[in-house]
Amino acid sequence: MSAEPIRAGSEYDPTSWPAAVQNPGFVGDTGEFAGLTEADVRGTAFIGERPADGGHPSVAGTLPYHTATKDPQAPIFHGPYEDRLEKILSRYPDRQAALLPALHLAHEIRGYLSPETQDEVAEKLQLPPAYVRGVATFYTMYNLAPVGKYLIQVCTNISCNLCGGDAVLEAFLKHTGTELGETSANGLWTVIEVECLGACGFPTAVQINEFYYENVRPESVPDVLARLT
Amino acid sequence: MAYPYRHPAETLVISEHFGNPEARTLKGWEALGGYKPMRTALGLDRAEVVNIVKASGLRGRGGAGFPTGMKWSFMPKKEPGKPHFLVCNADESEPGTFKDRELMRWTPHALIEGCVVGAYAINAEHAYIYVRGEFFEAAQVMARAIEEAYAAGYLGKNVMGSGHDIDITLHIGAGAYICGEETGLLNSLEGRRGEPRVKPPYPAIAGAFRYPTAVNNVESLIAAAHIVHHGADWYKQWGTEKSVGTKLFCVSGHVKRPGNYEVPLGFNFREFIYDVCGGTPSGKPIKAVIPGGSSVPILTADELDIGMDYESMAAAGTMLGCGSVIVMDSGTNVVKQVRRMVDFYAHESCGQCTPCREGTAWASKILKRVERGRGTPDDLDTLLDISDKMSGKTICVLSDAAAAPIVSSIQKFRDDYLALMDAGQLAGAGGR
Repeated sequence: MSAEPIRAGSEYDPTSWPAAVQNPGFVGDTGEFAGLTEADVRGTAFIGERPADGGHPSVAGTLPYHTATKDPQAPIFHGPYEDRLEKILSRYPDRQAALLPALHLAHEIRGYLSPETQDEVAEKLQLPPAYVRGVATFYTMYNLAPVGKYLIQVCTNISCNLCGGDAVLEAFLKHTGTELGETSANGLWTVIEVECLGACGFPTAVQINEFYYENVRPESVPDVLARLT
Repeated sequence: MAYPYRHPAETLVISEHFGNPEARTLKGWEALGGYKPMRTALGLDRAEVVNIVKASGLRGRGGAGFPTGMKWSFMPKKEPGKPHFLVCNADESEPGTFKDRELMRWTPHALIEGCVVGAYAINAEHAYIYVRGEFFEAAQVMARAIEEAYAAGYLGKNVMGSGHDIDITLHIGAGAYICGEETGLLNSLEGRRGEPRVKPPYPAIAGAFRYPTAVNNVESLIAAAHIVHHGADWYKQWGTEKSVGTKLFCVSGHVKRPGNYEVPLGFNFREFIYDVCGGTPSGKPIKAVIPGGSSVPILTADELDIGMDYESMAAAGTMLGCGSVIVMDSGTNVVKQVRRMVDFYAHESCGQCTPCREGTAWASKILKRVERGRGTPDDLDTLLDISDKMSGKTICVLSDAAAAPIVSSIQKFRDDYLALMDAGQLAGAGGR
């Protein structure tokens, strides 16, 4: 193959490329797929409503909704959530394997994992509390203290960093009026830095609760925040 | 077609239906010819399935490039009371990599087929798909697709009337890069801290729940299903002798058209970056390229006249890794980017092995000092010394991965380090 940089006039000629379509609802650059809507990209119509009891047992452990409404006092293994845990347990040879899904479930309901919540999970799965503490503190997605209604995680790892991730992080801090890792006085916002979100072709990638916002630029930050409130 | 940009030089095998929301649904997938590969596989003898994949030369697409068929052939003969497991590694978190997410969110049924083919090949009745926790949306798409597949009889008891039972369970991670390492992933699946295990025993002997297990990447399993359906020779029409087939390459950083592209292995790297991806948006020359994710040595702009295959990359002193191309133009502060990558490894080190836990932390601190103009040339020797002590001395290769950008950047971009030191001297930043 030739090592010619660009073959002008061929189909490789950049002037023949269609213009990029940016940010349809902040789900990224859909490039040549200009007809795609945000729902198309996110697959929301296909996914539909997920039942609280987890639906089919094969996928009952897959719903760590970081829901905007969290109640630190709510019971965790009751009603449909009890059913969901039973379904999860049915998929593994032992109870310990359900620990990550059970912690996700508790996290979904209460918003963070207090020492008391971790102890409840330990009791339910018949595991030593210290063991559960060890696991819960190993993984970054489990919040060990309360966070704002919206947890904004800005990727500043290499690919996003090359395209201005640091400036996007600064913009989120500025527009939410918070310091890194602190929750705003109105309880709405917590902004943190996050390691690579795996959306490197759509920099800067930002995860807000469960959803990704892609191709975010400093000037798009006010729009992203307005969308949430 | 790859997403979000297409290019005539692409060869579309596994990414053909990216960007088509219809392909997500069972009905849409069947209309596009879906579930035929799975039917083909279930109609063959297990050993035949393994042999086809072995004969194709397919190499694992998760980074290490270990031949998939050979991995499957290491599985022992099934003993009563000793189940086998297939584990699909969808814990995609290598900086620069975003192919498995696209595969799952656009073509979830392709992964279901891949898992069934893999599980059947290794005589497993249960496959776990370990999806990284941050991929909430991709996991939701997978969940819906798995429910559809169960309802249609493509999963569960007596799959498609074949007499075989195959279940899939989605397992969601909780944010730990190290769980992408296969034994760390297995520990995490078992409800433990995701700390890699000492090998041997390898997963084929004692994997998930200490039972024989094969761990395969998303892209490998999807490619394997195509290979079993079309035959080994069909797949060998692409690529080089030792790097067979097509591969998804994730391109990010300073390129005009970032995204995923599927090209045959061995494709010319310079042509790929300049023609397929359009070169740099700023028009500035390229300074450095990371060809396979943050864990592999950096190449300079002069080193791009090579093939994008395992052997050519190795000959150039780097690795194909998971095909994650990160491009940096001449305006890039390489030291800052290396520091950012090393910060990442320091954050993600599980802490089991001293050389990694201490090495990544100290390297990060020294690089920060250098970045601020307070470094001295001695610091570079210290960094190289730390990197040497981090390589090949730990349970897993996270430590080696952290050393790769440090060593290669000091070798190839030493002037960038020295310039920061000179600037610091001029500004009166002083020594330490």
